[in-house]
Amino acid sequence: MKQPQRSIMVLTGDLPDADLTTGIEPLRLEVRSDGDTAAFEVLDTHVGSVRQADQLLLRSGKRLTVLSGGDHVASQDALPKHRFVDDLDDGPVKSALQHAPRLRSLLSTGAGTISHRDIWVRDDDDKTLARARLTTLSPEGDGQAITITDLQPLRGYDKAMDWLRAHLAAVAENAPTGASNLADMLFPDQPRYDAKPDVAITADDTAWHTANRIIAAYLRVARLNETGIIADHDTEFLHDYRVALRKVRSVLSLFKGAYSDDATAAFKGAASELMAPTGRLRDLDVYLLAQDDYFAMLPETLHDGLELMFGMFRKERRKAHRSLSARLASDDYDNMIRAFQAAVEDPDRAGQGPEAHVGIGDFGSRLIWKRYRKVCRLARTITADTPDEQVHELRILCKKLRYLMEFFAPLYPASAVKPVLKPLKRLQDNLGLFNDYSVQQAFLQDFLDRHEPLGHKRDLALAQSIGALIAVLHERQKEERARIMTSFSKFDGPEIRSRFGSLFHDKET
Amino acid sequence: MKIVACYSNKGGVGKTAASVNLAYAFAEAGNRVLLCDLDPQGAASFYFRVKPSQKLQNEAFFEESKQVAKAIRGSDYENLDILPANMTFRDFDIFLSRMKNSRSRLKKAMKAVGADYDIIVLDCPPNISTLSESVLQAADLIVVPVIPTTLSERTFEQLLEFVEGQDALKVSKKQIAAFFSMVQRQKALHGETMTRMREAYPKRMLDAVLPFATDVERMGVNRAPLLAFAPDRPSAKAYRDVFRELQQRLNKD
Ligand SMILES: Nc1ncnc2c1ncn2[C@@H]1O[C@H](COP(=O)(O)OP(=O)(O)OP(=O)(O)O)[C@@H](O)[C@H]1O
Ligand SMILES: [Mg+2]
Repeated sequence: MKQPQRSIMVLTGDLPDADLTTGIEPLRLEVRSDGDTAAFEVLDTHVGSVRQADQLLLRSGKRLTVLSGGDHVASQDALPKHRFVDDLDDGPVKSALQHAPRLRSLLSTGAGTISHRDIWVRDDDDKTLARARLTTLSPEGDGQAITITDLQPLRGYDKAMDWLRAHLAAVAENAPTGASNLADMLFPDQPRYDAKPDVAITADDTAWHTANRIIAAYLRVARLNETGIIADHDTEFLHDYRVALRKVRSVLSLFKGAYSDDATAAFKGAASELMAPTGRLRDLDVYLLAQDDYFAMLPETLHDGLELMFGMFRKERRKAHRSLSARLASDDYDNMIRAFQAAVEDPDRAGQGPEAHVGIGDFGSRLIWKRYRKVCRLARTITADTPDEQVHELRILCKKLRYLMEFFAPLYPASAVKPVLKPLKRLQDNLGLFNDYSVQQAFLQDFLDRHEPLGHKRDLALAQSIGALIAVLHERQKEERARIMTSFSKFDGPEIRSRFGSLFHDKET
Repeated sequence: MKIVACYSNKGGVGKTAASVNLAYAFAEAGNRVLLCDLDPQGAASFYFRVKPSQKLQNEAFFEESKQVAKAIRGSDYENLDILPANMTFRDFDIFLSRMKNSRSRLKKAMKAVGADYDIIVLDCPPNISTLSESVLQAADLIVVPVIPTTLSERTFEQLLEFVEGQDALKVSKKQIAAFFSMVQRQKALHGETMTRMREAYPKRMLDAVLPFATDVERMGVNRAPLLAFAPDRPSAKAYRDVFRELQQRLNKD
């Protein structure tokens, strides 16, 4: 027989002292509060990684505490400057949060006060039979209080512990609960962010309505990233913002004929205007995030030039961030994006195209099938000698095919779409890397050509390092290109072909 | 795991008071401690407000280590558990003498429970008997409170004779650590006896001296170790000094 283990039980409500000490005879129960209440915050990433992992993460003062699955608590100290999981010192909280995306910062999603009480269950001799430490979280706002009980059994007094557990549960407002819904109980009005919202699509809906709904949904996604970009919480806000706008743009170009030419042109113009000011900052983010990789690509003798380059990137990034933030906070921007939102949210407006009233089921299958055949036609012509431009072309086609399949996915059984998406994704990964390497070479060349002079010696160091980087990237691009043909032949296999046919083509005939 | 037995061949010398406070001191220092109340009077259990165990039978104690483990109760203090007195311990000696190889049985029973603990403190009843042999056999350290009177001096000699007579027990002299208990400085007799005994047994007598103090008697009213309710009193400090010397001796081997 072992020493009894402490255990955690999470209860709803604040378990008032008066309730705790009622109906306990013949036992005695002492409640002692250590008096102080302190502030606490609940932390999570913008995408809710902690909540989705069935956890609750709290910060109170220097102390970071994670509750996992409703029955496990771990704590460690953290500094305010520790914003990412990677920043934390090694410890139990850091280990418990390893699942969180590395690029996402931990943000406050709500606040309140935290207080602690200790309770003792005693017998007629005043011998302690069981103990517990209660930590009550009282949220600001309309949420519900939560009490985390740390049950500390004493060896040989199992019955008393059972009694205490039942007593606490009876005093609580609800049965014991897990960690995943705690954040919602504490802060019920907390909006949830979903970078890929489910847009309800039914086969008999029209192309017009569907396009409107998808665009509206992604404009909302974009807007939910604005404050995060301005606050510069992490680079993923801008990334998500751009992905959302790209989806908007792709609906405009993919849903051919849903909107009139004029309407399409006007919306495309608006989307481009939103996108344009974000490019430079995103590029710099990408390079700065890859800093370690770049250093690893070159021998140490060439690191001086890289230091110079990244120093310049950082400086430029500050400027780029300031200017984008100013733009996002401006009335001009606000008016424009609101107008865009209002337009797509008004179904009775003008601007319907010739296909506006086509049922979306047929419309989607037709578009996917056409796009699929286009991808295959082009891909089959690609050999080791075809110019890079054609590979880029293929990448863009694949991307459009992927967007189409994602937009219309709700119309098809998920189990049928998944096996065709998988090889497509793999092909896209190759194409994406191929493209990244080529974009990076161009970016670095351009930077080298246009950077402000630093003086002869430093210019030389910079040029040497960048030259070497370009050479490495060029080599990688070649290797990636060699993989593309293999990936495509997997995508172009008879099985995938027949699946595409039966999913998106046979339906029509 | 180390076994520390508070033992004497004389009654009322302060064994239980020492057991309770030494167990507390060991626990306070971060050791996981089990205090075994081997005295049917149950004084040690009383001090910790633990009710005597009804279930535990002699048979169980030696045959079924699981039964021992079940009888253990957590005290109100961190790291400190109690094996409460059992009323049937009254028949301990008879029981033990009937058993073959009885001397090693206690050790076996303790070992089985020992995985959970760093230190086991035994509070022994005050008579030399088969149980005593078992205790002497099992213990890594035998702590003997000695009231510095002429009579106690004699009893201590008897104790040593007894121990040395138990060749088979392989109790080395080092294992015995005696300390002066209930010392009254104003009594010339106490001072003289202490000087004499320190000369006679330089290695066995601890430096720490436990004064006669009403604080110790207050344990009966407070039902808690002195170190818990009056940690800064001189007698509490004296128990801590004893503890430190014992710890040193335990660390040596
Ligand atoms: N240092 C001390 N000063 C004053 N009183 C003491 C001191 N130590 C013990 N006593 C008191 O003396 C009495 C006997 O002490 P204790 O029970 O510890 O001795 P014991 O050796 O365990 O006795 P027994 O042989 O009956 O088990 C108790 O009332 C106790 O409070
Ligand atoms: Mg006693």
